[in-house]
Amino acid sequence: MDVPLLAAKGLSKTFASRGRRVAALQDVAFTLKRGETLGLVGPSGSGKSTLARVLMRLIEPQAGSIHFNGDDWLKLEGRALRERRGAIQMVFQDPLSAFNPRATIGSALAAPLRVHGFADGVAELLARVGLTASLAERGIHEVSGGQRQRVAIARALATRPSVIVFDEAVSALDASVRGQILQLIADLQQSEGLAYLFVSHDLAAVRVIAHRIAVMDQGRIVECGPTQDVVSNPQSSTLKALVAAVPRLRKGG
Amino acid sequence: MRAFALRLMRSPEGMAGLILLILLAAMALCAPLVYPGDPMAIAGRPMLAPFSDPAFPLGTDRLGRNVVAGLMHGARASLLVGISAALMALIAGSIVGTVAGFAGGLVEDILMRIVDAFQVVPGFLLALAFVSVTGASLPVVVVAIALGAWTGPARLVRAEVLSIRERDFVAAARTMGMHPAEIAFREILPNALPPVLALASVIVASAVLIEAALSFLGLGDPNIVTWGSMIAEGRNLLRSAPYLSIAPGLGLVATVLGVYLFGEGVAEALARRRGRA
Repeated sequence: MDVPLLAAKGLSKTFASRGRRVAALQDVAFTLKRGETLGLVGPSGSGKSTLARVLMRLIEPQAGSIHFNGDDWLKLEGRALRERRGAIQMVFQDPLSAFNPRATIGSALAAPLRVHGFADGVAELLARVGLTASLAERGIHEVSGGQRQRVAIARALATRPSVIVFDEAVSALDASVRGQILQLIADLQQSEGLAYLFVSHDLAAVRVIAHRIAVMDQGRIVECGPTQDVVSNPQSSTLKALVAAVPRLRKGG
Repeated sequence: MRAFALRLMRSPEGMAGLILLILLAAMALCAPLVYPGDPMAIAGRPMLAPFSDPAFPLGTDRLGRNVVAGLMHGARASLLVGISAALMALIAGSIVGTVAGFAGGLVEDILMRIVDAFQVVPGFLLALAFVSVTGASLPVVVVAIALGAWTGPARLVRAEVLSIRERDFVAAARTMGMHPAEIAFREILPNALPPVLALASVIVASAVLIEAALSFLGLGDPNIVTWGSMIAEGRNLLRSAPYLSIAPGLGLVATVLGVYLFGEGVAEALARRRGRA
């Protein structure tokens, strides 16, 4: 357990927009152990989504390296990359736009199984996220937001990943559903030993799910440590502001 | 799909267009049953006026050929050429547009410059040049018309693909390790198609007209009757027997109108579905 499952070093990414250069990531480093949840918090525009997308190989960084499962993750290309991509999956913020609008729940879940040649069924996946198999016939538009996010989690599980990235995955859900989804995420980690990168600006959600928290601001990780220590004794002004923005924390924590 | 058909029925334009097209299609399909044999064969006395002989409801032309038989057989050529040329243009345009929009970079630049090159030449001139070089036959006419019509769908599909490829569901398909070709053609293209289908009616209508114009100039397939060739022959007798040009002309009007109205109805039904979703 001492060798991290995933280790990122020196990640940098600068976006050029209308002549202005915006540093989304500046020399970012972090590690993730098997079965661990790293919470990634920060204000909007702090680069946390960019970091998630770099990890997913959706955005290529200008510098840095990621070692994952014995691979030089950023060096993988083409077929080799496609075959290994299933090992890191992502759950997006808005489950409605994360699915092909023409897809049914069944076809959306069958796609990753087919791509990776797994024989297990859609019903099995639905059961793992607490949904009934009868939903498979329905369109993505025809189920509630909470059910949709469960389907998104099921899709992420389909490729048998060891890491799942949640990009604001519970932020768009209403409060009661958010609790259930967080519970599901935590249960899945318990039973399957998954590692999570949990990206959110919602410190309350991150606090209950994350073992460690990394705080980002303006493309840098400004603070990182075990959840309890970091939240109870924030050092950076960014985290202090985030903690102050969650009034519930004072009572409970 | 059933809900879509219902919405289409409820729009008056779509319904009117559908009826017109069904009538025309019935005309084309029944032609060999009602008038078996060659419609270009001489059938009776030349220059019979319409409604004068019950055997020739719309009369005969100056060689004594039956105008109704020509009209019905001509509908086959017009619809066949119009629809297959449009289909060809849509398929070619969709493939080029998807590849250009999805691949980006150099591939996109090259493909779109080719599209530009085709677009600066008027479609009719292109068809004219192509037919005069290769010789007139039905397949050649179809290709000739498609040659000038595929650029519209290509540009439209590319624009749609450019916006769709940034959506999260495409990112999700990439992260699950799907092959880029599958992402482009199974995830993105079907979502880019609705506006292109609305364009299809315009393409079919213009293909029907280009085919008629080519036949009018004597560049159609000489072995089949087309409305364009009927108008061309009637032109010499425009003063003494205007019905020889007017009858196939009305056929063209009905076809183009039917296709437009139907396309209008389809576009409206699609828009309503989008509005609901």
